[in-house]
Amino acid sequence: MSPTATAEATEAATGEVLLELSGITKRYGANTVLSDVGFRIHQGEVVGLLGDNGAGKSTLVKTMSGVVLAEEGDYLWRGEKLTTLNRQETERRGVETIFQDSALVPSMTITRNIFMGRELTNALGLLKLKQMDEIAAQILDSVVTIEGIKSPRQLVGSLSGGQQQAVAIARAVHFKRSLLILDEPTSALAVRATEALLNYLLQLKQEGVSSVLVTHNLHHAFQICDRHIVMNHGRKILDVRRADTSVEELTAAVVEGPEGLRRFREGKPLA
Amino acid sequence: MSERSGQVTAGSVPAAGGAVADPDATTEGVPARKRTLADSAPVSTSDRLAERLRQIRGRGALEIGLVFVLVQLGCIIYYLVDPAGFPYLEKSNFNVLSQSIPVLAILAIGAGILIIAGEFDLSLGANFTFCALVFTRWYSDGSSAWTATGMAVLTGVAIALLNALLVTKAKIPSFIVTLGMMLFWEGAALFYNGTTAALMIPSDTVKQVFTADLGFFRGQALWMLGVGVVFWLLVHRHRLGNHIFAVGGNPAAARAISINPDRVKIIAFGILGVCVALAAVLTAVRTGSVQPGTGRGMELKAIAAAVVGGVALSGGRGSVLGMVLGAALILTVQDILLLGGAPGFYLDLFVGLIIVAAAFFNRLIEGKAK
Repeated sequence: MSPTATAEATEAATGEVLLELSGITKRYGANTVLSDVGFRIHQGEVVGLLGDNGAGKSTLVKTMSGVVLAEEGDYLWRGEKLTTLNRQETERRGVETIFQDSALVPSMTITRNIFMGRELTNALGLLKLKQMDEIAAQILDSVVTIEGIKSPRQLVGSLSGGQQQAVAIARAVHFKRSLLILDEPTSALAVRATEALLNYLLQLKQEGVSSVLVTHNLHHAFQICDRHIVMNHGRKILDVRRADTSVEELTAAVVEGPEGLRRFREGKPLA
Repeated sequence: MSERSGQVTAGSVPAAGGAVADPDATTEGVPARKRTLADSAPVSTSDRLAERLRQIRGRGALEIGLVFVLVQLGCIIYYLVDPAGFPYLEKSNFNVLSQSIPVLAILAIGAGILIIAGEFDLSLGANFTFCALVFTRWYSDGSSAWTATGMAVLTGVAIALLNALLVTKAKIPSFIVTLGMMLFWEGAALFYNGTTAALMIPSDTVKQVFTADLGFFRGQALWMLGVGVVFWLLVHRHRLGNHIFAVGGNPAAARAISINPDRVKIIAFGILGVCVALAAVLTAVRTGSVQPGTGRGMELKAIAAAVVGGVALSGGRGSVLGMVLGAALILTVQDILLLGGAPGFYLDLFVGLIIVAAAFFNRLIEGKAK
């Protein structure tokens, strides 16, 4: 079966197209980091974006969130072509990106970080701290049951990397976004916290929230993603539904690229 | 408590206010509920106190607060032992302190908030001089105290905003911009007023408003309290304050969540302008004469007070309480030395030591927070 055929099959199975990229090409000087990449993300879909280091995942994430502008290609949001693209534009439409180096302020409390820029205030602009603390505690409890966070009033700077990641994720999921893009969210998380996060993404999916999970960890991705996109040297080499693939096939594609994929399909996995 | 936990269904999160003290307790066959963060809201008074202390510590103001209390206790004990040799708890001494501390504290609040936002203003002292001259000249030329005060505030804010525009729009580091502006406004003060002192005779009403004799204290202390409360609300309890910390603490994060760092920094410069003008008016009314060099070195004292009070020079951390305590501590130590009869030229030596020690402590705290 060809990748195109599976992509069509996916579309038939799921809801409205949320984000559509087509023909995305991005160069840094003479270096082409993305060439002619295109895919669709549907409402309520969890998509795994896989690939080795240097495959173009990070640039693709930045393109989706509007931080990086591609030289060629179209960005369609719910069928509407976006021409002025930046982080604010995509955020306004409901795209939330959690970058590897999570954008938190270490000298501020968890609560204040979660509500940063979207503070709950009274008419005078004074913060409703108590209410914000309560909500922050609830989302931290339900989203990422992570060990070691004692209070939402703790400073983010006193947390471990994984705990900070959890706060960033909690912030993203609280503000009911329609598309979450998570760049290596589990890399710094402990096993239990990872499980909780993956479960939460599934729960959000039930509510119609889509996620793109960028990860090195094939097993995490395979557990929860409806579809997998594998990148290799700036090209999309595989776009396949979970039912039509296996961890072994994905591994071959990620580790050895198109060559590995071909060999796998010929029944000669991993040289 | 037990009825309460009985109602909680597995996995649900109760309202934080009604959180149980011992969430691991098993009651009537209900399995022990996992301790959740919603339970972490302080319930008892001692919890709340501990929480508050932790918060103050996180802002760098706990250590300075403790040192301040210890110094006060030491002074009181010394006074009780030897009231004649060390007249600390005398009206005359408190009169002096309650006139000098508020001016430095208000300047430290202005400088400190700007440092939290990630910028400096070295022209603060020259701005202070210029505002005091503007106030004195307008007042002695027959304008009302309100007009004169208004003019001083306009001057202070305008000078600060000029710095702000050069820093945010022309992207020149604030250290250089304000260093240049410091010299510029020092020169401008001489141009405006000449080398002689500007004199004024404040009316009784003006004295009552700004420097009233309140028995043990002078009216400036109330101004300090007012300014302190207003800016405490703004910095620690207002949306704007949140953004000031974010911009100074991690500008990239602030930008990523659509906070405009330039706007926040311009507002922080504006706040400094208001503080400088107010401190200048308090000083002018008290002394009745303003020398063209009256504010020289004030910028460094204000920054020092803020740093002693736990404000991180790298931005993003600090508290209004700390800034006020920092100013109070520096001037109290100076006062102790004066009362103890130390020669004047020793003073700066000790103030310098306090500043370095405070910076050292801050370094330790920052290391711990990482």
